Amino acid sequence: MYRYDEFDHKLVADRVNQFRGQVARRVSGALSEDQFKPLRLMNGVYLQLHAYMLRVAIPYGTLRSEQMRMLAHIARKYDRGYGHFTTRQNIQYNWPALDKIPDLLDELASVEMHAIQTSGNCIRNVTSDQYAGAIEGETEDPRIVSEIIRQWSTFHPEFTYLPRKFKIAVTAHKHDRAAIKLHDIGIVVKQNDAGEIGYEVHVGGGQGRTPFVAKKMTDFVPKAKLLAYLEAVMRVYNMLGRRDNSYKARIKILVHETGEEEMRRVVEEEFAKIDASNMLTVPQEEIDRISAYFAPPAFDSAPAESATFAQAQADNADFARFVRANVVAHKQDGYAIVNISLKPIGGVPGDATDAQMDVIADLAERYSHDEVRVTHEQNLVLPHVKLDDVKTVYDTLATHDLATANLGLISDQIACPGLDYCNLANARSIPLAQEISERFADLDRQYDIGELKIKISGCINACGHHHVGHIGILGVDKKGTEFYQISLGGAADENAAIGQITGRAFTEEDIVDAIETLVTTYTDLRADGERFIDTYNRVGMAPFKERLYD
Amino acid sequence: MAQHAAKGARFQAVTANRLSDGEVVYFSADNCWVESFTDADIADGAEAADALLARAMPDDFEAHVLEPYLFEVLEADNFYKPASVRETIRAAGPTVRLDLGKQAEVKAE
Amino acid sequence: MTDYHLVIDGATAEESWTYLDDEAPLSDAPSIISLSRLKDEADTLAEHSAPLGVILRADGLGKTDLGEDVRELAPFIDRLALIAIHFPAYRNGRGYSAARVLREEFNFTGQLRATGDVLYDQWAMMNRCGINAFELAADIDLATFQTALGELSGAYQPAADQNRGALWARGK
Repeated sequence: MYRYDEFDHKLVADRVNQFRGQVARRVSGALSEDQFKPLRLMNGVYLQLHAYMLRVAIPYGTLRSEQMRMLAHIARKYDRGYGHFTTRQNIQYNWPALDKIPDLLDELASVEMHAIQTSGNCIRNVTSDQYAGAIEGETEDPRIVSEIIRQWSTFHPEFTYLPRKFKIAVTAHKHDRAAIKLHDIGIVVKQNDAGEIGYEVHVGGGQGRTPFVAKKMTDFVPKAKLLAYLEAVMRVYNMLGRRDNSYKARIKILVHETGEEEMRRVVEEEFAKIDASNMLTVPQEEIDRISAYFAPPAFDSAPAESATFAQAQADNADFARFVRANVVAHKQDGYAIVNISLKPIGGVPGDATDAQMDVIADLAERYSHDEVRVTHEQNLVLPHVKLDDVKTVYDTLATHDLATANLGLISDQIACPGLDYCNLANARSIPLAQEISERFADLDRQYDIGELKIKISGCINACGHHHVGHIGILGVDKKGTEFYQISLGGAADENAAIGQITGRAFTEEDIVDAIETLVTTYTDLRADGERFIDTYNRVGMAPFKERLYD
Repeated sequence: MAQHAAKGARFQAVTANRLSDGEVVYFSADNCWVESFTDADIADGAEAADALLARAMPDDFEAHVLEPYLFEVLEADNFYKPASVRETIRAAGPTVRLDLGKQAEVKAE
Repeated sequence: MTDYHLVIDGATAEESWTYLDDEAPLSDAPSIISLSRLKDEADTLAEHSAPLGVILRADGLGKTDLGEDVRELAPFIDRLALIAIHFPAYRNGRGYSAARVLREEFNFTGQLRATGDVLYDQWAMMNRCGINAFELAADIDLATFQTALGELSGAYQPAADQNRGALWARGK
């Protein structure tokens, strides 16, 4: 994992002091709320319904144990004993006091963490694949380039007051777990025919009110040229992106209105100008320095099979189910990737208590080479667990309500905070996720249904990714009452797609029944081995719609 | 921000969030910001509502609170309650965490 | 008299320029004119010997309010001693790109000035993008300006200033 050097430490400390000054100026009246707002946002501070909210960055979703322990400590000392892991590999605290936030940030800085650029119209936290460095088949560890992008984009003087927010995601695997095509810029680390590593760049994806899947801008940018290319995209966006209407200000609208071809031409032209100076070619020594931090941990050599692991599954059906749903093959023989679901039946998706965070930190330290990962589906991962240790890890997780064996299943839903917390929401999301999870609580039924991604947003801003749920649910407000609109066929992976709305919205009372109708329609229609999304893609909307509204 | 327009509403109150900690507050008949909705001043009619909002927003209001606004209140059996789900949740706390927010403090008493 | 005081290259400076309306005749004093006038009167201006500046406006132009295109200045760069970039709102960061294009692509070496809604928390970013002249509100002293510029002690990335950026400077 990347470790700060003196420079990184100093800059983050400077930033905390700067924010301390800004808070003081706001309190003294030297700054109006209008002037303060973008400054607090760029330090992760929102105002929600009940209190301020602080969003802390977890760059490319990687945490050390001491960092996870600090997140637990922050939850205890400055908040109400819990945190909420988000779809962009951040953690949100829902109750911090403004006047205590500078102290909180000081404590975070002590473990090389911050809330810089987790909001505001700037380049946000860079996200990546939660299995980075652990899964077989990566071109290279995507966190290397993610860290370079993190540094380049931090306090970028030209791109701090963009038309709108800007999100970058990176993957280095054929299976996209980072939803890169739904980002302003999505990067695929790839190898060309000559064996050189470079980047395929997608631009203009996004959700919100006008969802778009990103367009592939270029097949291959050589490694040394990536920052020049990114700077070109950013400059084109900053100069041509609309500022007259915040709903039309994202780069996806610019790409759409300009046209893919013309956008590519303009970007290439800008890229040629910027690249001519060679100023953005990162020195090889610096790339090597950063790469070294992501070298694989010192794995023990162990056989691919573990008798202990096999026996434990034979002896314990619950553990066997956990392995089936939540444990993924590791690239290193004798190791496994262990997913920790933050979606217990009836729980709040993505929430973890301070005690749970401490437990996970301890497990990571002892059994996972000190690493924890955060996923865009609001779960956590222990990326490097020896097969022999999986059962022990499972036992500890189970005693802390962290062993729900539902990864990728119907109860593993994404949900935004919704009207229970959020200032922008029109309807609640969490209670709906809880009801759906309880309706389908029976794990055997969930396994029978198979992979099914339900994603719930409480308003059109789509923080709950409803556009890209196999089943998406959008909360709408009709005269002060909550209604829920359904869409089908969305996907956030390498086959990214935007879902189609089924028709009129459902009331709070009817929505869970409607979901059940969709599920039984699928199980009635599915061919052998088909997931919900496969069946939908084969049969289309009509049969589902018919059953839903007859 | 969503759904707190109060066009055509008869009863309205003024709410905001406190600058120092973000706590939900209401403007009272004593011209101060209070934490409980039950202590909020209730305006009857559009003119009274405008006057209430004006009282809540003197020149230096930003020294104390953020973004004050009017919201609709309904009268029921001699007491008032917020009309919208949103304001009901603000006045009580998250519906998914009954141990948090103002609802928890009321219970604890 | 102006309602601002000027800081150039980190020091208080006397204002020697005048913003001219499009209708006002040019004099021998240094004048800042609009981009449209610069283009329309290019031939006459070529004969004009007094120092010439231009203001690049950002708002109220066209359906999408984009503002003027910095690259339209390309043919005139050698003729200009000053370019003022107008920031219609501190949140509108389009001018930062204009500044870098002027310094890095056009190698403009004259005075690059920020005008409009230009506040404490943006000065340092503007400075890094190559803006060297600031129209500050009358009540802001030079010390405050310098504090703002020094709040962050370093940078990760190169821009239009001398700071190469940590990604390039490490190990050097």
